[in-house]
Amino acid sequence: MESKGSNEPSAVGVRQRRIVYFVLIGLFLLQSGLTYTVSTEVPVPAAELNSAARRGEALYRSFNCTACHQFYGLGGYMGPDLTNVTIAPGKGPDFTRGIILHGSANMPALGVTKDQADDLVAFLEAVAATGIYPIRNLDLTPWGTYREMHSDAR
Amino acid sequence: MRGEFTPAKGFIIAGLLALWCGALFGVIGSWQHVIPNVIDVVPFVKSRPLHVSLVIAWIFLTAVGGIYHYLPKIVSAPLHSTRLAWLHLVVFVGTGFAVIAAYFLGLFGGREYWEFPPVLGIPIALSWGFLLYNFFRTANKYKGPWPAYLWMWATGVVFFLITYLESNLYLFPHFTGNMVRELTVQWKAYGALTGSWNLLVYGTAMVVMERSTGNTAIARSRSAYLLFGLGFTNLLFGWAHHIYPVPSALWIRILAYAISMTEWVILARMIQQWRATVKEGKRGSSTVFGRFMFASEAWVFLNLGLALMISIPAINLFTHGTHITVAHAMGSTIGINTTILFASVFFIAGGHRSGSMRTVFWIFNVSLLAFWLCLIGAGMVKGYFTVMTDLPFQTIMEKARPFIVGFAVSGLGLFAGLSVLVWRAVKAIAFVQREEGAQSGEEPAMAKAEVLH
Ligand code: HEC
Repeated sequence: MESKGSNEPSAVGVRQRRIVYFVLIGLFLLQSGLTYTVSTEVPVPAAELNSAARRGEALYRSFNCTACHQFYGLGGYMGPDLTNVTIAPGKGPDFTRGIILHGSANMPALGVTKDQADDLVAFLEAVAATGIYPIRNLDLTPWGTYREMHSDAR
Repeated sequence: MRGEFTPAKGFIIAGLLALWCGALFGVIGSWQHVIPNVIDVVPFVKSRPLHVSLVIAWIFLTAVGGIYHYLPKIVSAPLHSTRLAWLHLVVFVGTGFAVIAAYFLGLFGGREYWEFPPVLGIPIALSWGFLLYNFFRTANKYKGPWPAYLWMWATGVVFFLITYLESNLYLFPHFTGNMVRELTVQWKAYGALTGSWNLLVYGTAMVVMERSTGNTAIARSRSAYLLFGLGFTNLLFGWAHHIYPVPSALWIRILAYAISMTEWVILARMIQQWRATVKEGKRGSSTVFGRFMFASEAWVFLNLGLALMISIPAINLFTHGTHITVAHAMGSTIGINTTILFASVFFIAGGHRSGSMRTVFWIFNVSLLAFWLCLIGAGMVKGYFTVMTDLPFQTIMEKARPFIVGFAVSGLGLFAGLSVLVWRAVKAIAFVQREEGAQSGEEPAMAKAEVLH
């Protein structure tokens, strides 16, 4: 970020700059602590991963499902978002298990075993309990936010 | 550096090769979106991480190569330890090969960005420690208050390590047992990781500017420190604009929204300065690096504008999870970072007249513009139909198809342009005996500093 044009010497002294810098780092540590704990609790116990869901989470990583799929819009773009697939109308756990085992016209079969598919479904069910995505309720506020965003747990 | 092979050159050449390979896998991945299973040898689960990891490696390798090259000149003293710099290169590149091998074997980290089996993260963190030590031991020899670019580099180097370690917190059950926490922390780390490499690259841009114009006041001006301060604040607190829909505590996301909006100040400030320099008629593009610096500024405007728009939650509702996010990522990593790094590489390699590379420069930039616009088009289609209708995913993607095809086709142009640039740059760095600033009066002083290390 070059800054041609305004070459006035810095008015803020070195000392003040250092103070600002370290205050920012202090706030960062505080924010990190909160983010790692109380500010990211799940809304309902069902969203906490049990042992099957934890295995499913690890499988989701080792099969690299993220390359094609998203949660809350985060991840790859080739396949659909999976946040609510196990509770979506017309889909659900059995549909999910089927596609994970056999793939589809557009999704390759990845050689997932039956037990692994059960764990992956348990994982996806826990994810579905964390909230709703995508958000279709266009309830905008004058501050440029949307009301759905204002509830911690949906 | 004349003729001698330094760690800096090693980093830059490794970076250029990583870029070329990464771009190749990018082309493969983009065509796999157009024709599924088109290239079975490298399926998409492999081509994507190969692409992402290699192009990120390009940014780090080349930015770090620049630091090893410029830092001794800036402090007028040799690098604290050239041997440690070599060790850094060897460990980093060696681990890079191990990462590539892991992908081909189907061993993934399964994360969004720099994903690989986590054990391979250990040598990367270790080698970064070598840089950290070398950087501070050398930079401390600087007499007087640090110019803004030293602050940027120091912060980038330190925060890379912090956020990189943070991105591995998922290895602890406390983080993976709760997907709200896992997603939030993952994006907290990645957001700041991106911010830290941006600081390395922006610092480099400032150095190239200073060394090519001889104007040392810029990097010590109030405005330079202000821009750095704002950039740093955004690195620390702005990451949650990536995760507005994730149901973490509201304050996390509102804080990020508020902080992100401070970037309007950066944009306004830059426009002001841009106009001032246009008036002075100083937009020289007679050299290759001058051209690239000029292009990078144009890309900064476009991408900062886009980033600001999609940081507004009401707009983000439509753009999030779509190819507009990809446009943002590609625009910043190619348009800004890659362009600045090419400017730096050609600057280090010495004065090439730009005439010889005019065509390839334009192929690169026009393809990139088409590429960027196609992604935005695809994202608008996906965002609109996802939020406003109940159409199934595949139907929506069919509607976006013309843009996806346009994206893959312009990607070929981009790859062609990059290939020539990489070839020219490797040749210039490896074989040409001339040296940084060969046409900017300060060469003798620099040559002297060079002899020292
Ligand atoms: C190469 C990309 C790719 C990979 C890797 C991949 N998928 Fe898919 N997946 C797709 C595509 C594309 C679809 C859409 C298929 C369709 O509609 O025919 C899909 C659909 C699905 C669906 C149905 C979603 C819905 O809403 O209809 C589920 C569930 C799913 N995938 C789970 C997984 C899991 C779990 C993994 C990892 C074990 C995985 N996928 C790996 C591409 C992929």
